[in-house]
Amino acid sequence: MTGKSLDLPAQPYTGEKARLSRAYDYLILVLALFLFIGSFHLHVALTVGDWDFWQDWKDRQWWPLITPLMMITFPAAVQAVLWPNFRLPFGATLCISCLLIGTWITRFFAYHMWNFFPINEVLPATMLPSALVLDAILMLSNSLTVTSIFGGMAFALLFYPTNWPIFGMFHVPVEYGGAQLTVADLFGFQYIRAGTPEYLRIIERGTLRTYGQYATPLSAFCSALLCTLMYPLWWYLGKAFATTKYVQNI
Amino acid sequence: MKKLLKTLFSAVCLGLCAGALAPEAALAHGEKALEPFVRMRTIQWYDVAWSKAKLNVNEEVVITGKFHVNADWPRGVAQPDATYLNVSAPGPVFIRTERYLNGQSSVSSSALKLGGDYDFKIVMKARVPGRFHLHPFFNLHDAGSVVGPGQWMEVEGDASAFTNRIKTLDGSVIDMETYGLANGVAWHGIWIALGSAWLLWWVRRPLFIPRYKMLHAGQEASLVSPLDRMIGAAIIFAVPMIVFGANFVTDLKYPNAIPLQAAMDQIDPLPPAVDVGAVQVKIQRAEYNVPARAMIMTALLHNGSEHPVRVGEFATANVRFLNPAVIQPPQGEGATLAAREGLSVDTADPIAPGETRTIRITAEDSLWQRERLDGLIRDADTRMGGLLFLYDNAGQRYVSSVSAPVIPKFY
Repeated sequence: MTGKSLDLPAQPYTGEKARLSRAYDYLILVLALFLFIGSFHLHVALTVGDWDFWQDWKDRQWWPLITPLMMITFPAAVQAVLWPNFRLPFGATLCISCLLIGTWITRFFAYHMWNFFPINEVLPATMLPSALVLDAILMLSNSLTVTSIFGGMAFALLFYPTNWPIFGMFHVPVEYGGAQLTVADLFGFQYIRAGTPEYLRIIERGTLRTYGQYATPLSAFCSALLCTLMYPLWWYLGKAFATTKYVQNI
Repeated sequence: MKKLLKTLFSAVCLGLCAGALAPEAALAHGEKALEPFVRMRTIQWYDVAWSKAKLNVNEEVVITGKFHVNADWPRGVAQPDATYLNVSAPGPVFIRTERYLNGQSSVSSSALKLGGDYDFKIVMKARVPGRFHLHPFFNLHDAGSVVGPGQWMEVEGDASAFTNRIKTLDGSVIDMETYGLANGVAWHGIWIALGSAWLLWWVRRPLFIPRYKMLHAGQEASLVSPLDRMIGAAIIFAVPMIVFGANFVTDLKYPNAIPLQAAMDQIDPLPPAVDVGAVQVKIQRAEYNVPARAMIMTALLHNGSEHPVRVGEFATANVRFLNPAVIQPPQGEGATLAAREGLSVDTADPIAPGETRTIRITAEDSLWQRERLDGLIRDADTRMGGLLFLYDNAGQRYVSSVSAPVIPKFY
């Protein structure tokens, strides 16, 4: 990597104009940061919700199905603004980073400090690897179709293996109360909360019973298929609700 | 006028700020919010007791009690096919270390049988110092929660001294308070570092206005450099490699990992404890006198025992109406939901052995209103329910689950 190759690309402005345009960049970035921390975090809390909140909701069937499907939404919409108008391929990474900032703030202050849950019981999942790949595919392909198909699929398929190194150890079995539980289940039993009962937990339910114990890949591929459809849907939503007319007037 | 409005507005703002800065502790868990007919005719708690009310961090308190599952279960409430005996608390200030239903250890949900009798025992270990209000309660699938009697607990000590060590089936001993935290934070840190690097790679350069102008001026090629593309290709290759590699290593490290468990426990009711034995009660009519805050029950009572019996208590939705001639008033926190002289019978004479008599039982106290049970007359299901406790001279107790439609009397 040479010093030359790291040079910033040319820009049309110099002097005061360049300084002002840079100030505008920071203004937009800071606003975007707070906007996505709030809105995307709220979106995920309302749609993924308990699957991301609690260890004992992170199952093989619903968690890898719901989470990527609901988390590809904002990244697609933001990419639809940043890439066609500015050729900036970081929409997905920006959204997921903002989500994680909001999530960690909530988990630490609301769940841990305020409500006394041990922080390891409420560890959030991460989709940053999925987001990085989604951004890279969009940049290299410059194609909505290719990104929808391959990016959407990669976004979903990478989710479970990304998070298994974080959460796998919580699936170690424990004998407790005369039954076999995972450490994650034990959190639910010991650290009391109103939503503990497994009938309230939407886990390990469904018809994926004829594939032995290989429910996770099937859920992941189902999610991948749905993400290829969800991605363009939210791309067009982002395109419809965003405007660049204020930039045009400058 | 303007000045007045301004002052008023300022006062409201100040009040709101003061309220926000000095919040009061929540003193209830919504136990009065559930419609009265659900509280009265589903889970009927009794004999609930706590082994202690003051303890230190790491010490245990045992909650014991009994409940009857009302056979006259409301039609509007889902059948208790999936229920969970839980504890209501302001977060996990205690942990639940053991739970027994009818002497059987239970960690999952179970079905309850209508008309069934159960006893329970819950062992709680203090985790956070403070003063907390605890209730046992039942999660009822598709119905909500039916809360049992509550108790204030005072916990002293140091929260950091709390320990919760568990032995896993692979033989290792783990601390539930910290298990997996460092590993989780480390993985998040790695991905956040990579994500931040990608963001900084782009944010370091002029962004919105220059790039927009250049793109529309046909200078697109200079906006994404060959190095950018090379990094993008590296991401597509390297990120999945790291992800699947780490996944593979985790599988090797935890070969005995199992899925989350979703089984239900099977627990049979105890031999009947309610509506058995020699004393039988049937409510023929129930009237609720609104101004007097009194439930007046006309009951046909048959005493088939060998001793005379007297009505001692009517309990419904955790409220106890006591006949002072028969029952000693409870002490401690249980007294707050007990009407010490709230129960009266139209005749002081005990029901003799073999006698069948119609008696009028009056449960009268402001607790009907304070516990929002008087709302029953405005419910969609206006049948009342509760447990009637009768005693003979030898101290033998007979429990009868009663229910009947309620007719309000407004004057």
